[in-house]
Amino acid sequence: MGDGRSGGGGGVNRPAWLQQYDLVGKIGEGTYGLVFLARTSLRKCCIAIKKFKQSKEGDGVSPTAIREIMLLRETCHENVVKLVNVHINHVDMSLYLAFDYAEYDLYEIIRHHREKLSHSINQYTVKSLLWQLLNGLNYLHSNWIIHRDLKPSNILVMGDGEEHGVVKIADFGLARIYQAPLKPLYENGVVVTIWYRAPELLLGAKHYTSAVDMWAVGCIFAELLTLKPLFQGVEAKATPNSFQLDQLDKIFKVLGHPTPERWPTLVNLPYWQNDQQHIQGHKYDNHGLHNFVTVPQKSPAYDLLSKMLEYDSRKRITATQALEHEYFRMDPLPGRNALVPSQPGEKIVNYPARPVDTTADFEGTVAVQPSQPVSSGNAASGNIAAASVAPSRSMPRSMHVVGMQRMPNTGMSTFNVAPQAGIGAPSSGNIPIPRGAAVQAHQQQLRRKDPSMGMQNPGYPQQKRRF
Amino acid sequence: MAANFWTSSHYKQLLDPDKVDVVQRLDKEKGLTLEEFRLIKIHMSLQIWKLALHVKVRQRVIATATTYLRRVYTRKSMTEYDPRLVAPTCLYLASKVEESTVQARLLVFYIKKMYAGASSSDEKYRFEIKDILEMEMKVLEALDYYLVVFHPYRPLLQLLQDAGITDLTQVAWGLVNDTYKMDLILIHPPHMIALACIYIACVLKDKDLTTWFEELRVDMNIVKNISMEILEFFEYCRLDSKGNILIPEDRINAALNKVAAKP
Repeated sequence: MGDGRSGGGGGVNRPAWLQQYDLVGKIGEGTYGLVFLARTSLRKCCIAIKKFKQSKEGDGVSPTAIREIMLLRETCHENVVKLVNVHINHVDMSLYLAFDYAEYDLYEIIRHHREKLSHSINQYTVKSLLWQLLNGLNYLHSNWIIHRDLKPSNILVMGDGEEHGVVKIADFGLARIYQAPLKPLYENGVVVTIWYRAPELLLGAKHYTSAVDMWAVGCIFAELLTLKPLFQGVEAKATPNSFQLDQLDKIFKVLGHPTPERWPTLVNLPYWQNDQQHIQGHKYDNHGLHNFVTVPQKSPAYDLLSKMLEYDSRKRITATQALEHEYFRMDPLPGRNALVPSQPGEKIVNYPARPVDTTADFEGTVAVQPSQPVSSGNAASGNIAAASVAPSRSMPRSMHVVGMQRMPNTGMSTFNVAPQAGIGAPSSGNIPIPRGAAVQAHQQQLRRKDPSMGMQNPGYPQQKRRF
Repeated sequence: MAANFWTSSHYKQLLDPDKVDVVQRLDKEKGLTLEEFRLIKIHMSLQIWKLALHVKVRQRVIATATTYLRRVYTRKSMTEYDPRLVAPTCLYLASKVEESTVQARLLVFYIKKMYAGASSSDEKYRFEIKDILEMEMKVLEALDYYLVVFHPYRPLLQLLQDAGITDLTQVAWGLVNDTYKMDLILIHPPHMIALACIYIACVLKDKDLTTWFEELRVDMNIVKNISMEILEFFEYCRLDSKGNILIPEDRINAALNKVAAKP
């Protein structure tokens, strides 16, 4: 049904449940599978569908998918991505997770400012994004979930619609319930993109605490302010758990050399203790976070940031404490729609829509027709506003999504998409005043197409994306 | 939520007792009686246990697997979902959920080993990796993708500590293990099951905890009812000299053959 378009996918062979969706195209790709953008045939809601391939070695459903399903089936919060459905295709043993679609993510928002606009993100937006991120994280942490892989590309922001500008924490493939883990978590191998990895992990700490997420939030906060990753270490990839000397070096250069006085448990951390790479003896001059961020050293923003980037994980600020911080009590106050400027008359930034490869079908195979040129403004995708084809994008995007209602308990075939109503009731109560949700009515149409989307600034290190 | 029982899917999905022990229509048509249905569930709980001993997973994994098995059969027939395959598959899925993945090929290997040289029905236990992986998806679907399960073990230890009777830990823990041979985990909150086990342990070991129980803000009638159910279950099961549940193999095979038979 539906997508008679390019590579419409499977035709008659499509399983029944898939026929409720009109495929728009592929929006991401990773080791675990593919991510598609689709519309539901009934309500025309945008849905992101993450397809997990059956792993080759006879390991069944990937543990990543299991974790994501397990956790997202339990969570319900306005700032946490909503899993709206799970489907199984028994024929090829693939698993599909359907999420409500989020048009933006912090990676793209930051990149747009850095590469296209060359001006910083306005204060209101930074504060609102951060507040909502912390709000979602506070919910997760109070439910004993550590995300473990927070980074800008995993922090989604809703596009046009009732939830415009609302932050959604996504990608729970590495998340854990940390109440009495069965195995020490480190046995599960690599965790967290190294730029956002907490120093205790880099030094070989064996147990994760929720403080690792707060470190990542600190890094993201700094990046929102400066548009540049704060600690851009080069990853050592020799073994899965390599010692990341360069990353630590980058951190020490900004925050100074850690000392047992400042950080008492430092001496117990394996890589510090054995000191094979002589990190204990390094000297760092002229460090100081204030040299790297744009906010005044005496400001509440700076104070909050430095508390997130506290070396000692036991002293690091928690999500609960951070939400209470003075920074969020002063003007501009954070709001529910992070993308609408606080001051009337301030310029609205039109962020680029997520690139969609409309030549792909649900099997992930690209249609016979040649892929379209990058510059194409892309008429092919028809009903999805502002979609653009970007086959040349070197890095796939991660997935992105949202919604608010539990899946119906009925069989898959009776699935209905969550209506865009009744906004996350219990959790949204304490968000400071929603800002004119109706204002951005036709923003999608205003959004300019960006012909150079697929191009990366060559000087800017690319982020590793994981699905 | 994942760590708060009262907001969890587990809590929301607790069932009425009369919704749990119901023979599915298809199975009924094959002539499966309620008694046989129960026997198969007990037998399969034991199979999960035995298999788990081979692959060395923790108690919690076994408990989660058994819960999955029991949940599946509140919704699906044994005719369509062969218990002999569902049981190891539940262990497989639970091992992933509880972050201690056991490889499917290992399970297949031990299943073969467990049944090597035993009696005639054994061919029915011969599964390949592929069978487990296919069933994994069917089980996921049958569970409606709700995977987080709460168990009585953690509240048990806390309660024993609180009551100052940690010397009863072994007895009470063993009783909790036994509750998985019943459907209690689908019906009652885990801490209530834990309390019932403590209650029985006290009776068995002649401890008087009346005051402690009275100070708890729980409905003691429910605790006592659960305790009665557990004791009735023990009476119902014949135990061998070591206290293990003994089910005549021919009865199990007869029951399993009913649901396996083509109509």
